[in-house]
Amino acid sequence: MRVIEPWVADPLQRFLAESSARLVLLTTSSGQVVAQHGFTRALDVMSAAALGAAIMASTDELGRITASGASRALSHQGPSRGVFLSGFDVPQGRWIGLVVYDHDSSLGLVRLFFDRLVGELTALAPVETPAREVLAADFENELNASLRSLFGR
Amino acid sequence: MSIEDIRVLTAQLAADPSSLAFLPLAEALRRRGQLEAAEKIAIAGLTRYPDLADAHDLLARVLGDRGDLERAFDEWDIALRLDDRHAGAHKGIGFLYYVAGDLPRALKHLESALAIAPEAEGVAAAIDRVREGLAGMEGSSDVPAAAGEAPGTPAVAGSTAPSSGDGAGSLFSGLEGAEDGLLLIDGQGLRLGGGLNGPDGAPVGDAVAAHLAGAFRDATRAARLLSLGDWRSVGAETAEANFFLCAPTEDALLLLVRDSSVPIARLAKHAERASEAARRWLAGAA
Amino acid sequence: MNVDLAGALELITRVVGVRGAMVVSADEGLVVAESSMDGIEGAAVAALTAGVVSRLTRATAAAGRSAPAFVHLQAEGGSLLAVPAAEDLLVVAVTDPDVNVGLVRLELRRMAEQLA
Repeated sequence: MRVIEPWVADPLQRFLAESSARLVLLTTSSGQVVAQHGFTRALDVMSAAALGAAIMASTDELGRITASGASRALSHQGPSRGVFLSGFDVPQGRWIGLVVYDHDSSLGLVRLFFDRLVGELTALAPVETPAREVLAADFENELNASLRSLFGR
Repeated sequence: MSIEDIRVLTAQLAADPSSLAFLPLAEALRRRGQLEAAEKIAIAGLTRYPDLADAHDLLARVLGDRGDLERAFDEWDIALRLDDRHAGAHKGIGFLYYVAGDLPRALKHLESALAIAPEAEGVAAAIDRVREGLAGMEGSSDVPAAAGEAPGTPAVAGSTAPSSGDGAGSLFSGLEGAEDGLLLIDGQGLRLGGGLNGPDGAPVGDAVAAHLAGAFRDATRAARLLSLGDWRSVGAETAEANFFLCAPTEDALLLLVRDSSVPIARLAKHAERASEAARRWLAGAA
Repeated sequence: MNVDLAGALELITRVVGVRGAMVVSADEGLVVAESSMDGIEGAAVAALTAGVVSRLTRATAAAGRSAPAFVHLQAEGGSLLAVPAAEDLLVVAVTDPDVNVGLVRLELRRMAEQLA
């Protein structure tokens, strides 16, 4: 497990132990990586972070134009692995969690323990000044900066 | 490798992060049991050399020692896709198939490892062991011992299985089902003793043990989160057989399997006696 | 499937000692229908029961046997009982420790048959 925000480590460790998830990625809504577990390649993290942020942004926008509200979570069940994607709010701003699980877990277990993770993160989050709005031009720079931290590049 | 050697390699890697020194350094740490550090270094190396089969083999061995056999399998699988003549990966996957009870696949990979690297440590002995197991499957209902046979392979280093004297006879002797129907399993899903055969008489103990590796955690978690206190047992009725699972100690599971005509309540009685035997045996093996 | 799930679950919770009952999707571990669960989070029951049943199903398959038709997790403070039904569903009950397990099993099976 690699974390950029140290206070994220303990709750995330508990989530991993309880949910038996294989891969976890926490990012900001702009795709900046906060923590990851299970990814061995920087390229995979970069792609997953960007795709997760894009999917959440798309579904939130779809919810807005159809007046159905922002999406709380999305899931996809493949033949051997499932993906759970959820946005949530912490004092630092809106974050996104991407969780990949296999037959050792289930959507129900991931959702159950993800809700607890969000609760713990919200309670433990240090009080900070409101996050500035991220400009599209900053997106790649922020992503690369977080990848350098996570993989020592 | 001495501590001094490790210091030298660490300094070398710090001076040149792109150096391949991470391979011997992580391996040295693994051998010293510093698995967390070894995993970190292996993963850091992999981020620079994602297509290096040796690096995946290294990470797989570390994961194997940590008991994460599923991820170890994935890493060896990647190593073989990158280099289908990687002896270490064939050896590792062969061992994992052996642990899972898939002896034909285990033999195939171990034979590949031996063909590629005839000098590889322990492979010839492991092949003999697998062949014995296969012969046993064809000729009788004997169950091959699960652990301790393949020197240098990952799960062995992480195993808590006693190295000898763990046959069904010494563990559950005198109890009904001592050789077919009683299984003692460690926390990593390895069979410590006892045996279980499938309906066709083939030994299935190792495969069942592997699938039950997380049962202790599942039961504990369910009982805790549903405010049911400590769990005592899990019973499962199938059309052909009844299964009864309990934990004679904090890090071992006991499985009893009987024909479906034997009620689970009676299995619970059998389990008490078998648990006593398991505790005595584990105390003696400690 | 045209079953009065609430009514059928009510029959299970009428058994003395049953704290709650529900129908769960076995693959996903999500709640399909639930009766009042006395002090227990339904989502947790669904997810955790499906996890236990799934592991046992893999173990019985590895042993060359069919999938469990009844699962009973016994703990010092009560029990978790599950019976698979058609369409990848589980009928589940959470009980006190001194419940008549045989009776609950009958009711769970009855409901599972209704769902078939």
